[in-house]
Amino acid sequence: MKLTGTRFGEIDFGPTDVLFFKEGIIGFPLLQEFILLSHKDDSPFRWLQSVQEPGIAFLCVIPQHFVPDYNPELTHAVVESLKIEEDTERFVLTTASIPKGEPTKMTLNLAAPILVNARGRIALQFVLEDEAYTVKHRVFPEAKVKEGVAA
Amino acid sequence: MLVLTRKLHQSIVIGDGIEVVVLEVRGEQVRLGIKAPKNVAVHRKEIYEQIQQENKSASESRPEDIPDA
Repeated sequence: MKLTGTRFGEIDFGPTDVLFFKEGIIGFPLLQEFILLSHKDDSPFRWLQSVQEPGIAFLCVIPQHFVPDYNPELTHAVVESLKIEEDTERFVLTTASIPKGEPTKMTLNLAAPILVNARGRIALQFVLEDEAYTVKHRVFPEAKVKEGVAA
Repeated sequence: MLVLTRKLHQSIVIGDGIEVVVLEVRGEQVRLGIKAPKNVAVHRKEIYEQIQQENKSASESRPEDIPDA
């Protein structure tokens, strides 16, 4: 199958490439089918490319690349909803937001991770009850005074 | 909007499987207990709106702005 009109040009994909979000993405409940694209080889960045709306793709990351001790609690309801068992291959993504032209201000939404059941090709974005994680986790420390301006 | 008055420990029932109970009233704060089926997600509205906004921002992020990592 081919997906045309995406921000990344034409994308070839097969039925087994599709990730199904039964509940959609929060705020986008009708978008249920996505293809997961890597930004580059060996990059922690991914694009969740909508199959239904080719113009829409969400930037995501493997969060542990930036926050090594990130460990979202998977509640019983989440595990059950994704049919995850002990040996089910799974991984977590979080969305990443980069203000236009300002990569150093990138933030990750650690409060609402996306859990993927890799074998079943089903996924869910869920909200953590642990308030220790924020929706705007700043990845790079805020720049202090610009070099050359200080002193 | 439907408006109902409830007292402490009274509740309302929504549809077939959702119940909201007033657990505590203290000044301007009200504690609610919510019983709902597992497939019904319950969120604090302001958090939910922030997540919607973050998802929107993630969809507006540009490939050329992605840092080398």
